[in-house]
Amino acid sequence: MEALRAEGISKSYGEGDTLVRALGNVSLRLEAGSVVALLGPSGSGKSTLVKALGLVTLPDTGQIWMQGQLVVEDGSAVTSLRELRRRHLGFVFQKANLIPFMTALQNVAIAAEIGGEPDPSNRASELLRYLDVSHRERSLPATLSGGEQQRVAIARALANRPSIVLADEPTAALDKTRGRAVMELFRRVAHEQQSAVLVVTHDHRTLDLFDVQYELEDGQLKS
Amino acid sequence: MAKGTAMNLALLEVRRHIGRFVGTSVGVALLFTVVLAMAGIYGGLVDDATVLVRALHSDLWVVQKSTRGPFADISRVDPTLEKRVAGVAGVRIARAFTFQVLERPYSGRSLRFALVGLSWTEDRGRNLPLVAGRALGQSHGEIIADVSLGLPIGSVTHLATEDFTVVGLTRQVLASSGDPVIFATTADAQLITDDLPTDAVRTERERRAARVLLTDVGRSQPAFEDLAKDPRWKPPALAAAPVNAILVNVAEPGQLSDVRTALSRWPDVAVYSSGEQERFLLDGVVEKPRKQLALFSIILVVTSSVLISALIYMMTLSKSHDIAVLKLIGAPVTRIAGMVLQQSWLIGAVGYAIALAVGSQAFPHFPRRVVLTPWAIGGVGTLVFLVSTLASILGVVHALRIDPGRALEA
Repeated sequence: MEALRAEGISKSYGEGDTLVRALGNVSLRLEAGSVVALLGPSGSGKSTLVKALGLVTLPDTGQIWMQGQLVVEDGSAVTSLRELRRRHLGFVFQKANLIPFMTALQNVAIAAEIGGEPDPSNRASELLRYLDVSHRERSLPATLSGGEQQRVAIARALANRPSIVLADEPTAALDKTRGRAVMELFRRVAHEQQSAVLVVTHDHRTLDLFDVQYELEDGQLKS
Repeated sequence: MAKGTAMNLALLEVRRHIGRFVGTSVGVALLFTVVLAMAGIYGGLVDDATVLVRALHSDLWVVQKSTRGPFADISRVDPTLEKRVAGVAGVRIARAFTFQVLERPYSGRSLRFALVGLSWTEDRGRNLPLVAGRALGQSHGEIIADVSLGLPIGSVTHLATEDFTVVGLTRQVLASSGDPVIFATTADAQLITDDLPTDAVRTERERRAARVLLTDVGRSQPAFEDLAKDPRWKPPALAAAPVNAILVNVAEPGQLSDVRTALSRWPDVAVYSSGEQERFLLDGVVEKPRKQLALFSIILVVTSSVLISALIYMMTLSKSHDIAVLKLIGAPVTRIAGMVLQQSWLIGAVGYAIALAVGSQAFPHFPRRVVLTPWAIGGVGTLVFLVSTLASILGVVHALRIDPGRALEA
């Protein structure tokens, strides 16, 4: 089942002599339950594509469908982007980006609450158990290890039961062993939660864990 | 976190940074304490200015024509006016009243007080708010004093050439100048007021004799010169010492208007109600300090607003990335703005609570009375709420402008 489809996405910054074409006519599909790798060198447009698919930045042209519903058409949002992010999307960042004044449980519960979960606390506990960090649920982010923080961040991304999870270099701050463990976690999440997971990565040693791989170069997609 | 209860982000952050929050609130509290003090000092000014008028329980004040006396203006009326007023239909009691602010040495210190003369025997001070002792029991040699003068019941004070025993005590009965009041009979009050040093008395007698010698009768009758120098001689042509006002109580409340109309027709007096006397005092005595206090308070309120605004802005700035994350995961703007606004309210509320606690301990030690009425406490509280709300605007605007895409930046 198709979770996300993008057709003819392009995005430019600046104008005239300073015009930079970050994305040019990019099209891709994410199937529910699949783990997709997005590869490419620095400056190839990976972050721009993640921002466009994550409805943080609107593309200049092209269409985006989520769960079969057209949400962006010719660079314009069909409905509220915030509402679409709340309903359909989960994000994992390079750094865990946990809110420092909230415990691990609260970090996940706030996302569940915003996502409209009827019992956010219970949902948060359930996810922390699922990701094997329930023993640290009362801990503040500063007291967690890098791997624990990233697992809590993944739990937060799943709190609103998203159909699409976008992860921007989630293992960049982790060592090889912990990085692979996180990638395995994404695979498990995709298969068990039936979410489409797009992971931006530089780490070629974990490519065996992905169902599909895309490579971006100078804003053009090569599969 | 209970099921179905939204997490309060403002409280969560405050709990994690309690030291910083309390420090900030204490700083704000000190400013609010000064604002409260200004309001309390103003309340004290108003209360002090009018407490004596209220304590005397008079329906009407009969004063010298074309004056607003006896407090806001100088008023002198002949003491016989008391009998004239008492004869008016509907008047229950007419009392002579004198008022003078004096400073006299007492036990090695300076005693500053307002001396009020009560009309013996009509007014013995029974209506005064006595906290100890009794009203005046005899026409001479007894006084009622305010406790702030530090004269205990039974203590004897030497004023003018006489000894006066304190028989009663009042609390917070002050003149508009803030000086505590001593009540005596009008005769004793005049005795104390007119007290002159021996040299001055002797000089006056010599002047009197010299004036006699300037007249034909004085030159032709040397005995007049001796008489003028005689300390026991009271010149018969001199009028009795004037009083400052006549206080009137009517027999029935319904007769107040008739009595006032009747007295107002007299060509030598002006008649005012107690309410008008209070207004004269407030307009004349308190007006300028009131404006000064108000302007000072405005500066303090603006300073508080700027301070809270800067603090809230800095707090918001320091969690810009967290706000971006919240926005990215779909938090509504009302939730983000609410967090900033609630923190501003919390700082204001905690600051104000500390200010009230500090004020309740510190204000009784102020040299002038600080009166915090429920209205003043409520008014300053409302001001704090408004200041906190306004102060959050800068932070809210910054929070709303944060791009959720910042969360994706490393």
